[in-house]
Amino acid sequence: MLRSFGALCLSLLGLAALTQAGSSSGNSVLVVLQPSLKRDAFSLFFDGLEKKGYSLTFRAPKDDTPVIIEHDVPLFDHIILFAPDTKSFAKDISPQALVNVLNHKTNLLIALSPKQTPLSLLAAEFSLILPPPGMPLLSHFPPRDTAPTVIPITVPADNAVLTPGTPPVWFSGVPQALGANPLLVPLLRAPPESFAADTDKDAGAEAVVDAAEKGGEGLWAGSALGVVTGFQTRDSARVVWAGGVELFGDEFAKKEIEKGVKSGNTQFALDTAAWAFQENLVLRIDKTGHHLANETTPREHYTINDLIVYDIAISKYNAAEDAWAPYSGLTDLQLDFTMLDPHVRTALVPVAGAPGIYSATFRAPDRHGVFKFVVDYKRRGWTFLHSSTTVPVIPPRHDGYPRFLSAAWPYYAGAISTSVGFLLFSALWLAGDDRETKKTKKTE
Amino acid sequence: MLLPLLALFALPAAIFAAKESTHDSLVKLAAQSGGIIKLNAQTYDLLTSPTRDWSASIQFTALDKRRRCSPCREFDPAWTAVAKAWSTVPKETRDNHFFATLDFDDGTTVFQKLGLQSAPVVLIFHPSEGSRRSANAQTPTTYDFSSGFDAEPLAEQLSSFTPIPIPYRAPVNWALWGTVGTLALVFGLTIRFLAPIFRSRWTWAALTTIISLVMTSGYMFTRIRGTPMTAADGSWIAPGFQNQYGQETTVVASIYGLLSASFLMLTLVAPLQSGSPNRQRTQIYLWSGVIMLLFSVLVSLFRVKNRGYPFKLIL
Amino acid sequence: MPRAYPLPTDLSPATVTNTKSLVRIVAFALISGAAIASRLFAVINFESIIHEFDPWFNYRATRVLASKGFYEFWNWFDPTAWYPLGRVVGGTIYPGLMATSGVIYNFLQAIHIPVDIRNICVMLAPGFSALTAWSTYMFTKEMKDESAGLLAAAFIGIVPGYISRSVAGSYDNEAIAIFLLMFTFFLWIKALKQGSALFGTLAAVFYFYMVAAWGGYAFITNMIPLHALALLLMGRFTNRLYVAYSSWYAIGTLASMQVPFVGFQPVRTSEHMGALGVFGLLQIVAFVQLVRSHVSSKQFNNLLFALAVGAGVVGTVAIVGLTYMGWIAPWTGRFYSLWDTGYAKKYIPIIASVSEHQPTAWPSFFMDLHFLIFLFPAGVVLCFRELRDEHIFVIIYALVGSYFAGVMVRLMLTLTPVVCISAAIALSTVLDTYIDPSEPDLPVPEADETSGPSETTTDAPKKTKKDKTAPPPTSSGASVTELLSGMVVTPPSTSKKGAAKEKKTGIFGTDTRLAVILNAIGMLMFFVVHCTWVTSNAYSSPSVVLASHNADGLQLIDDFREAYYWLRQNTPETAVVMSWWDYGYQIAGMADRPTLVDNNTWNNTHIATVGKAMSSSEEVAYPILRKHDVDYVLVIFGGLIGYSGDDINKFLWMVRIAQGVWPDEIQEPKYFTPSGDYRVDEQASPAMRNSLMYKMSYYRFHELFGGGQATDRVRNQVMPKTGPTLDYLEEAFTSENWIVRIYQVKKEDPLGRDLKTANAFDQGKKRKRTRPPVRRRSAA
Repeated sequence: MLRSFGALCLSLLGLAALTQAGSSSGNSVLVVLQPSLKRDAFSLFFDGLEKKGYSLTFRAPKDDTPVIIEHDVPLFDHIILFAPDTKSFAKDISPQALVNVLNHKTNLLIALSPKQTPLSLLAAEFSLILPPPGMPLLSHFPPRDTAPTVIPITVPADNAVLTPGTPPVWFSGVPQALGANPLLVPLLRAPPESFAADTDKDAGAEAVVDAAEKGGEGLWAGSALGVVTGFQTRDSARVVWAGGVELFGDEFAKKEIEKGVKSGNTQFALDTAAWAFQENLVLRIDKTGHHLANETTPREHYTINDLIVYDIAISKYNAAEDAWAPYSGLTDLQLDFTMLDPHVRTALVPVAGAPGIYSATFRAPDRHGVFKFVVDYKRRGWTFLHSSTTVPVIPPRHDGYPRFLSAAWPYYAGAISTSVGFLLFSALWLAGDDRETKKTKKTE
Repeated sequence: MLLPLLALFALPAAIFAAKESTHDSLVKLAAQSGGIIKLNAQTYDLLTSPTRDWSASIQFTALDKRRRCSPCREFDPAWTAVAKAWSTVPKETRDNHFFATLDFDDGTTVFQKLGLQSAPVVLIFHPSEGSRRSANAQTPTTYDFSSGFDAEPLAEQLSSFTPIPIPYRAPVNWALWGTVGTLALVFGLTIRFLAPIFRSRWTWAALTTIISLVMTSGYMFTRIRGTPMTAADGSWIAPGFQNQYGQETTVVASIYGLLSASFLMLTLVAPLQSGSPNRQRTQIYLWSGVIMLLFSVLVSLFRVKNRGYPFKLIL
Repeated sequence: MPRAYPLPTDLSPATVTNTKSLVRIVAFALISGAAIASRLFAVINFESIIHEFDPWFNYRATRVLASKGFYEFWNWFDPTAWYPLGRVVGGTIYPGLMATSGVIYNFLQAIHIPVDIRNICVMLAPGFSALTAWSTYMFTKEMKDESAGLLAAAFIGIVPGYISRSVAGSYDNEAIAIFLLMFTFFLWIKALKQGSALFGTLAAVFYFYMVAAWGGYAFITNMIPLHALALLLMGRFTNRLYVAYSSWYAIGTLASMQVPFVGFQPVRTSEHMGALGVFGLLQIVAFVQLVRSHVSSKQFNNLLFALAVGAGVVGTVAIVGLTYMGWIAPWTGRFYSLWDTGYAKKYIPIIASVSEHQPTAWPSFFMDLHFLIFLFPAGVVLCFRELRDEHIFVIIYALVGSYFAGVMVRLMLTLTPVVCISAAIALSTVLDTYIDPSEPDLPVPEADETSGPSETTTDAPKKTKKDKTAPPPTSSGASVTELLSGMVVTPPSTSKKGAAKEKKTGIFGTDTRLAVILNAIGMLMFFVVHCTWVTSNAYSSPSVVLASHNADGLQLIDDFREAYYWLRQNTPETAVVMSWWDYGYQIAGMADRPTLVDNNTWNNTHIATVGKAMSSSEEVAYPILRKHDVDYVLVIFGGLIGYSGDDINKFLWMVRIAQGVWPDEIQEPKYFTPSGDYRVDEQASPAMRNSLMYKMSYYRFHELFGGGQATDRVRNQVMPKTGPTLDYLEEAFTSENWIVRIYQVKKEDPLGRDLKTANAFDQGKKRKRTRPPVRRRSAA
């Protein structure tokens, strides 16, 4: 609830700030650019961002201002780290500090390089496994005039993050093997015939081949590797790890894939940035509600075997007009009614005629206790949706049970007959004449 | 040139044979000593040899009088009973689990090696190979004495380590039933003569009084906690407020008894001495004195138990 | 006849009786005053606060009752207890206590006396103690006479054995239960004496009140049938007994079944079968009697008798059979553990773990009852001397009570009344004998006077005339009766009325009288001093606030409330707190937060879950904590100031209870050193050191000593130089004296690492390089 409210405020701020489309979580971007890289070497990328309405602030890795986070409040919504070769950073860009700002919902776009830097150490925390230092990705196919480290990679068509039909992109840099972490979002994978080895006329190639013979042990090769990989933390902050910074540079952007076909780098760079900066695939829960089947207001507790209706409103951020719109597109949303373990698990289906509203009706289990309505929607690339509402389920009230049971008639009969008998007896007793009573008295 | 080769070939066979013989000798040992192997340092190593396809449960105890280990002697019968029960199961399963006893005086070194400072201790050694191989073969399991020294829980818990559950059945307590039966018989026969005793209220009075005296002087405590009659060093007053020895029960009960008896004397007997005033007078003074004295004894006893108690009578 | 000292002779009987009653009333007022006053130490020393553990729940329930009304209270489902199972409070408590104080509260409100409900709860026990004194007076009056009654009232008013459970603020069921117990017994005796159905019904009504108030009602349920049975066996069956018992049982049982918590137990459980059986037996015997009185054929009588016996046997067999078929529940563990004393420790460790279920050593008997404890047997013997029906009740009560009190400390409470009564009987007999001024006249010596009661058979007939309790033995009791009816030989009358005709026994001289009386008075004074001391020192501390005497006087240790209020003010309403069950009620009452387990230990598995979490390592415990939505974990640690009742000392019980449910995950021996003792220092076993409880207790404990030797003052052991570390929890609060320590359960790592690695990363540790996961099976 609160989260969505916060998101709402942010988006309103965004609205106020500018007219054009932008991110759902604010538009201030800090670009940490290492001195060896010039800003205008990335003009296409940066201008593209600014055209979208982002306000870029530049800063060298070493200098201390502008600070990233102040009084535990991050001053920027997104950070671009184009410092692949920098060995030493200012204090507030240490790996720990970066993880910290990430936990404050600040999104990161990080470029790596074959060199060993603090950032490449940080990558390990995101279960990205980099090859040993100085082993960039290289490939000899297709035959071309460029160096083997400069590789054309075709952009996957089925990835929701990337615009379909983007021409292949030029890549040069270090690949990452992906650990078994469900939070990873692979964006661009290495070509099948590529591998990581040291550059000077790939002497390490034999090593790689031998490794391949031995069966995949510790092999940085093939399409299992990623070159650009996204990562979404549990609280939906996003990070993009790019194997090389040139990917975003003007040089590759202008470089032709083949005669007359410009490379897709610009498009690709903007797409990844768009995902990283919470522009697309962003969802939020507007509100959740529950009530009895034939009521409208929520109860503070339900009775066992009640028929309960639970509904949830979800909306999706639309970057084009920078607004949240109700979204009924989710087909696999489901609701758990859990106490320790899920007692009920049912599908939340979109309500016809009510955009963005999903609803489920179910019967409460025959079990009292403190239950939770849990909606937990985690899909690659999408914002994670999680909502949990606690509500006690209680046994019937003392007068909630059926009053007269047909099974109990023997008891009713017994009670009635006994009382009638008692009445008769006492009547006779009282009516009986004195002598008798006296006698009984005496016998005591 | 050839010899070492031969030796090389012979080696595994030798090991195999050795292992065989180990097991067999163990079986023999077990057989000749009625199911329980009486261990010493060597046989202990034999039984717990690192590679074994049998399991073993060993009782470490000190049964010798000089060791003054009363729990050991208390536990030993249960152990023997369970082992005997195990020796009744068919041979092929029986030989996969051994019961053994190692007395402190036979295997002091083993006690030191295992760092055992207390007895009795029961360790269960799991087989390191074979079908019943277990991961923690080298770390024996310690039997949990929290459920007492009785045979039932022992058999029950050991059964989870033996190939088949131990067929232990609690022996019928013939002695008890016998005594009960005979008593009942005697009672039935002598009822005619005993009737006057049972009819006399004073029998019952004595019974009631004694029971309530014993109960109110902490007899149940000693029963339930199994506290000894006196401490090992002979002192008969247990330190601490919520603790006591068996001796205290008797002493306190008798003090209570005497006190109430002297009250009864004052109430019932003294007035009857209407024969001679002097005898009565002496009696009354005597009993009053007794009451004062015993009561102050009781209070001082209580002061020993409860240090903070501020009051005292004449002593 | 000679007199030891002169008495005023010119008093009219009216004046005497008036003064007597006046004196009685004054004495009674004083007794009540003393009873109430001596229970106020707690309020004076500390403050008007609810004590201990259970009272906190009762208090909470009473607040609900007072604010929401009775029906809401009846249907109260408490979602914050036993999270997430919740607790159906209405159906799982004895509402008598709350109902009582609720009624008082509403009454006071109605007459516009605005009293806070808390003060009512605090003062309820002292108030009822006065009523207890009164009912004891009535009861003892039935046994002997007013003077004994007054003595008994005085005794029970100030005897520590009863005060221990009824000081101001100990707002527990026992507070009112003892009054109900005594009054029900009084009514029963009254009904039995007069054979009146009215008193029988009254007894039943108060029995119902008792059932609604305390689980210990089973004591009455079995005492009264036992009494009836004994009378039956002694051939003392009378119509009075029949009327009294039948009316009590019929109405009482039906009434008791109206209490939701009891429900059908009276007809379904073994505890109540005794009462039912005696009821049936009485019917049979009565029937036989009736037919006897009308028919007079020997054979027919025998036939009838055989019939009756047969019916009895059949009934018994039926009950046993039903038990085996499961229609009648066998004895509940708590009840059964009274007989088989080893039972609880073996099968229900939760019950055995409670300190007040331990057996009683003699010092606590003396502490609680002082000199009554040895007057008590004397009184019992005196009851035997004159063996009326009600005396048999006292005798049985004495037997049963003393046994139970020996088995369980808390049952001292049920013993106390009978001790007071019979002690009062004994003492008042002494005083009667020695205050009575008339001296015996020196007679011609006779043979048969020296021997005690044997001479008494002479005036048996007179006795039978005087009171009806001992009719000639009816042969209904059959052979058993034959055997026992000897006891029915009517006792001598020691009452002065009887002896006054021709004074044979008595005391000569004044000095002897003075000696004995002064002796008695001295004892009484000593008793009063003792009671005051015990009450003020031992029984008046509300274990919520601790007091410690040191050089600069009394010092209050208020850690518990400090911590609970911290929880109340710094955590969200819905934050679930996990602690050992002892503190559940207090957390619910003072911190008002949901708890996992509390002092009504109805769900062993849930408690075992907490035990498992506490006694296993962080990695194992964390999923359990997450699954139960635990936000905070609370532990009690006494190691700093030497508070011995802390969780490390209770730890073994947690392990045991957990072991009962997960025998292959938790094993008790693992928590001992190889040499088999329980240590927390360097030699502590690895399982001990890794357990959550150990870590939470000693986390950062050594830092407190600034490099010096950290010493646990409860265990008197030197702690290791390096303390334990926590990865999955973080310290949230530690009270002034470290008694209460509260830890917060960390959220999962946003990057999906396990918290151990996350911590390592935060502390800047390098992680070793990993290699890509194997995707293909190796060719070889």
